[in-house]
Amino acid sequence: MRGFIRSLAIAALVAAVPASAQQETIRIGVLQSFSGMTSLNGQQSEAAIKLFMKKYGDTVGGKKIEYFTRDTTGPNPEVAKRLVQEAVTRERAQILIGPDFTPNMLAAAPIVTEAKVPAIINGAATSGTIGERTPYYARTFFAIPQLCRPLATYAVKNNWKRVFVVVADFAPGHDCEKQYLGALAEAGGTLVGNVRIPLKNPEFSSYMQRIRDAKPDAVYFFMPIGEMSIGVVRAFNESGLKAAGIKLTGAGDITDETYLDAIGDAALGAITAGIYSTTHDSKINKEFVSEYVAMNGKSPRIGWVAISTWDAMRLIYDGLAAQAGGKFDPDKFMAFVKGHSFESPRGPVTIDKGNGDIVQNVYIRRVEKINGVLQNVEFETFKAQPFK
Amino acid sequence: MSSVASILFNGISYGVLLFIMSVGLSVTMGMMNFVNLAQVSFSMLGGYVMVVAMQKFGVPFLWTLPLAFILVGVVSIVLERLLFRFFYGTDDLTQVLLTIGLVFMSIAIVTYFWGGTYQRVNMPEWLTGQQELGGFILERYRIFLVVVGGLLAFLLVFGLERTNFGAMVRACVDNRRAANACGLNTDLIFAVTFAVGGGLAGLGGAMSANLLGLDPNFPLRYLVYVLIVVSIGGMGTIGGSLIAALALGIADVAGKYYFPSIGGFFIYIVTVVVMLCRPLGLLGRRA
Amino acid sequence: MNTPTAYFEGLARWKPLEIVFWLVLVGLFFVPGVNLPLLSQIIIWGLFAMSLDLLLGYRGILTMGHAAFFGIGAYTAGYLGKFGWTEPISALFLAAAIAAAVGLLAGRLVRSLGGIALLMVTLGLNLILYDFVLRSTELTGGDDGLQGVVIGQVLGMFKFDLYGKTAYLYSLAVAFLMFLIARALVKSSFGLALLGARENIPRMIMLGAPVGKDVSAAFAIAAAMAGVAGALLTQTIQSVSPDALSFQRSADVLVILILGGTARLYGGFVGAFVFLFLRDWLAQLNPVYWYFWIGLLLVVVVAFFRKGIVPSLGVLFTRMQKKRGTDERTPNRAAL
Repeated sequence: MRGFIRSLAIAALVAAVPASAQQETIRIGVLQSFSGMTSLNGQQSEAAIKLFMKKYGDTVGGKKIEYFTRDTTGPNPEVAKRLVQEAVTRERAQILIGPDFTPNMLAAAPIVTEAKVPAIINGAATSGTIGERTPYYARTFFAIPQLCRPLATYAVKNNWKRVFVVVADFAPGHDCEKQYLGALAEAGGTLVGNVRIPLKNPEFSSYMQRIRDAKPDAVYFFMPIGEMSIGVVRAFNESGLKAAGIKLTGAGDITDETYLDAIGDAALGAITAGIYSTTHDSKINKEFVSEYVAMNGKSPRIGWVAISTWDAMRLIYDGLAAQAGGKFDPDKFMAFVKGHSFESPRGPVTIDKGNGDIVQNVYIRRVEKINGVLQNVEFETFKAQPFK
Repeated sequence: MSSVASILFNGISYGVLLFIMSVGLSVTMGMMNFVNLAQVSFSMLGGYVMVVAMQKFGVPFLWTLPLAFILVGVVSIVLERLLFRFFYGTDDLTQVLLTIGLVFMSIAIVTYFWGGTYQRVNMPEWLTGQQELGGFILERYRIFLVVVGGLLAFLLVFGLERTNFGAMVRACVDNRRAANACGLNTDLIFAVTFAVGGGLAGLGGAMSANLLGLDPNFPLRYLVYVLIVVSIGGMGTIGGSLIAALALGIADVAGKYYFPSIGGFFIYIVTVVVMLCRPLGLLGRRA
Repeated sequence: MNTPTAYFEGLARWKPLEIVFWLVLVGLFFVPGVNLPLLSQIIIWGLFAMSLDLLLGYRGILTMGHAAFFGIGAYTAGYLGKFGWTEPISALFLAAAIAAAVGLLAGRLVRSLGGIALLMVTLGLNLILYDFVLRSTELTGGDDGLQGVVIGQVLGMFKFDLYGKTAYLYSLAVAFLMFLIARALVKSSFGLALLGARENIPRMIMLGAPVGKDVSAAFAIAAAMAGVAGALLTQTIQSVSPDALSFQRSADVLVILILGGTARLYGGFVGAFVFLFLRDWLAQLNPVYWYFWIGLLLVVVVAFFRKGIVPSLGVLFTRMQKKRGTDERTPNRAAL
C-alpha cells in the first residue's frame, strides 16, 4: 500500500513539473549487509560512498547522483534477490553496488541481465562468477586466486618449503585450498599436512596440536572475516607455535584492519597477502585515509569493503562522465567500465575487458607496530595478478 | 604421549569455559523452571564490563571479574523484578520467545554503544604465553581457567546443593505455596537466585572473551553450545552441567584432533544421541 | 447437530471471513505498485508456518528443526533444476515426497520425546544437516549455493518474470491448494485426534487412539508441506543456498507462527505478513538497528498478545458480536 501511495505521489509530482526542466537523476542501489555478523560491510560501504560524494560532488556528467541502502542481512539469496528485484522495479535504480556475498550475487544475476542494470560487486570473491554470469557485472573486490596463489610462491622462494595448510570448511576455503596447493606444487614446495576447520568453531587447540606434530616451516591460513580469523591467530601465538619459529602466513583476511587491534600483539610478524593496506605508500592513499578518518573517526578502521566501494564509485563516476550530456545507457556504461584502468588508493586497478573481473596488484605484508598501532606493512608486490 | 596429555588438558580447560558460561542457565532453568536464553546476553555484557573497565578505567584484569559478576547480577535482578517474574510458570515456548527477543535487543543496544567491531582483549603479561608444569608445557590462561573454574564449581555444588539457601530454593520450586506458608520469602529467594545466575553468566563472559573473542553477535554464536551443555547435563544439576561440560570439551577437542573431517559434527551427534537415550540429561531428575 | 456427519460438516463450513481472506490475496495482485516479490515471500513463509502449525498448534510438538524439511524441499527442486528437470509443478510433488519420507523417519525418531529433549534433538538434527550441506562443496556448492539451477515456465506458458507476477500467482495457487489439504485434515477425525493428544495424551491412549503413529503421520504431512514451501522458494528465486535450512529459519518460522497465532491455520499467513512487512520496513528505516525493534516486538507480543494476532482478533470479534446481542457462537468455534 505504501508503494501505491508513493507512486500516486510521484505521478502527481511528475505531472506538476514540466519534463524539460528535469535533470536526469541516477539512482544507485547499495545492497549490503547492514545487520548481523557482517554489519561492518554495510557501514563501511556507506561511509565510503558519503566520503566520495562529498569529495567529488553529487553531480557527474550532467546527472545527479542519489543512492539508497538495503540490508541483505548476510549470505541470504532469498532476501538479496528480492531486494534487487525491488531496487530495479520499484526504486528505479539504474546502477547497483552489490549485492555482497557469492550466493546473493549468483541469485541476482538473471535480474540485472533482464533489467539491464549494471552492478558493481564489492564484496564477493568466488572466482568464475562475474562475466560468466551476466554481462552487467563488474568486480572491484578481489577473486580468490589473487589472494591465495602469491603466498605459496613467496613461501617457497624464502625457503619455507614444508607448509601446513589450514582453511575454513566452506566453499571459499575449499577454493582457496585448491589454488594455494596448485601454486605450491608449481613452486616446488611440500605440503606436510592440511586440515579444514568447521565454520562455527570456538576452540582451536586441537588444530594447533596437529600443526605442532607436523613440524612445518610455515603455516598458511584462510579464514572468513571475523572471529575465526581472530581465533586462529591468537591460538597460534598462545599455543607457542610462533615461539617455536613456525612462520604464520595467510590470506589478508586473518589480519584485517577492522579487527587487527582485537587480535593484538599475537598478530605481530604474521605475513599475509592482501589487496589493500591503509599504510600503502602513495599520495592518493594518504589523502584517502586522512579524509576517511576525518569523516568517520579512527574506529572502526578501514577495511577492504570500504576501498572496494570507493573504487566502485570511481567506476560509476568515470563511466557517467564518459557519457556526459546523453541519456544514461547501461550498455555503453558497461562497455566503458570493462577495460577501464585507474589509480586506486590500493594501487593500479584494471577491470578486465572481456570479463569485467578485476586485475590488481597483490601485496605481501608483515604485521608491525608503527607508532603504537598494529599495521599491515607492504614489502613485496606481485604485479597485476589475474582473476583466474 | 605429550600430545595426548595436552589434548586432555586443552579439552578440560575448554570444558571449564563451557561450564562457567552455562551454569547460570542451568541454575535458573533447573531450579526456577525458567528458560532464560538471555543468559548469553548477560555473558556478553560481562565481557563488555571487563573490556571497558580495563581499557577506559585501567582496572586490573583480576578485579574486573568480580566487577562483571556484580554488575551483571544487578542488571539481571532489575530485569527479573521488572519483567521475568511475571513469566514464572508460563510454558517453555513463551519463555524462549520472550528471552530470545531480549537477546535481539541486547545485540542492537551493544552495537549502539560500542559499535559492531570486535573488542580488543588484552590479558596481563602473567596470563599470556606458556608455563611448564610437571613436565608439560601448558598455556597459562588455560591453567588460570581450570583453577578458577574448579573453585567455582566447588563453591556452587556445595553452596547451592548442600546449604540452607540451596534447600530453600529447591523448596520454593517444588511447591511455592507450601514454601511460602512455611515462612520463606519466595520472592526474595527467586530474585537472589536469579541474580547469582546472571552474575555467573557475566563472569563466564568476562573469562571467555580472551579465548572466544567479543562482539555484539556473541550471544547468538554461543547460545547453541550453552543449550547443549545444560540439556546434556540435566537441568538444575550443577554437577551434571560440570560433567557434561567437561565431557563435551574433551570430546570436542579430541574429536577434532583425531578425526578432523568429522570434528564439527561431533558435538551435535553427541547431543542427539544423549537426548534420545536420556531425555532428561545425564544426571537429570524427574521433576 | 447430533450426528458425527453433521458435526464435521459444521466444522468444515467456510466462514465469510475465510473467503474474504483469500479474495484479498488475489485482489492484491491487481493493486498497482504493490510489492509482489515481498508478497510472494510472505505467502511462502505463510505456507511454511502453516506446516509448522500442524505440529505445534494441533499436536503441541515444539520443534526447532523445521527448516530442515524446508531445505530438503528447496534442494530437491534445486537439484532437479540443475540436472535438467525444469518443469516446476512435478518438482513440487517430488520435493513433497522426499520431505515427507524424511519427516516420517524424523517423527518415528522423536515421537516419544517431549520438552527440552525434543527441542534439542530437532535442533541437533537441523544443525547436522546444515553443517553437512555447508561443508559438502563438491555436492551442494556449499556456502555459495547450488550453481546452475534452471527453472522452466509454469504450465509451459508463464515465465518467472522480473516483476514477480508469475511468482506471486504461482505461490498463491500452490499455497491455497496446500491450505485446502491442511484444512480438510484438521477438520477431520485425524485433526481432532491430534488436538486430543495435544490436550491429554493418557486419555487418548485410553480411548485407543494411535498416539505415536499420529505423530509420525503429522510429521510426514507437515514435512511435505514445508518441503513444498522450500521448493517454491527455490523456484521463485531460481537459486538455493544453505540458508534455506539454517537454524535461523527454524527460529524465524516459530516466531512467525506464534505471532500470528497457533492452531488456526491462518495464523502462519497473518504472522508472516506482519513479521516480514515489519522487518522490511524497519530494515529500510534503519538497517543497522532493526534487530532491536524485532526483539521488542517479540517481547510485546509474548507479554500482551500471548495467543497471537488471529486468536486475539477473534476474541475481539466475538466480544463485538456479543455487544450487538447476536452471539452466534456454536460449540465448534473453539476448534476452528
